[in-house]
Amino acid sequence: MNKEIEKLLFNPIRLKTVSFLMTVETCNFKALLDVTESTKGNLSIQLKKLNEADLIKIEKYFQKSYPTTDYSITKKGRTSFEDFFKQLQSYKNE
Amino acid sequence: MTKEEQLSIINDAIRQTKNNLKPLGFNLVFWGVLINFMSLFHYFFPSIVQFSYYSSTIYWVSIPLLGMIYTTYYNINSGNKIGYETQLSRVIRIIWGVFGIAWISIVGISVYSRINPVQDILFLLALVLVMSGSIIKFKQVTLGGVGLLIFTLYNYYIPEIHLLLVNVIGITFGMLIPGLALYFQNKNE
Repeated sequence: MNKEIEKLLFNPIRLKTVSFLMTVETCNFKALLDVTESTKGNLSIQLKKLNEADLIKIEKYFQKSYPTTDYSITKKGRTSFEDFFKQLQSYKNE
Repeated sequence: MTKEEQLSIINDAIRQTKNNLKPLGFNLVFWGVLINFMSLFHYFFPSIVQFSYYSSTIYWVSIPLLGMIYTTYYNINSGNKIGYETQLSRVIRIIWGVFGIAWISIVGISVYSRINPVQDILFLLALVLVMSGSIIKFKQVTLGGVGLLIFTLYNYYIPEIHLLLVNVIGITFGMLIPGLALYFQNKNE
């Protein structure tokens, strides 16, 4: 598996984010804050890193004149997470 | 971070995703109450609803349209509050969206063809309820849909029953009661 991805998912906030996004279609920032139990600033930084690695997709739009952001997992994010999870399980089974 | 810790983080994150079905329960109850109220009002006060040739059409189109606007607003708000959309809630949203479009089409066609749309709408509603109940694995909704389907098919053969009363019976057992069960089950969780 890609070492860079493994390094990215070694961070608990990033791992929680990707794991959660694997189970939902889309989510907003507040939901990710609840799941990761992180601070707004820290979460924003980790989300930016995941987005730069093309693991998650960030969509910004206006809803009732308010800026809203939706987060979802990318195809690359999904395959990377599946590989990562398989690898973890194989370690566990050893 | 050890491998065990990583696995535990993944499990915790996945466990936090719940399929929140309370909004669907609310929608069923809202439409159940609204349509029943409209049907009973029409049944008891036909002179008010049918005071002109198009008045009953306006009555049956404008109020449900207002209901649609209200439920759309409610669904957007509750979606924002929950903060995420699962695959299941997306499927349910699409199914009911398609039902809304089909409902408008049936009403439009029946106005044009001068036929009563009640049975066709109830038939479609029964199918959508069976689908929704099967997808969310909630027996009361599935059974409500099956009951409504049987009731609607049976009603095609006894035209002497007043269609507004057919509407009330069908909506109460197919939509209102299952909706209340779904709403309160999810409220208690």
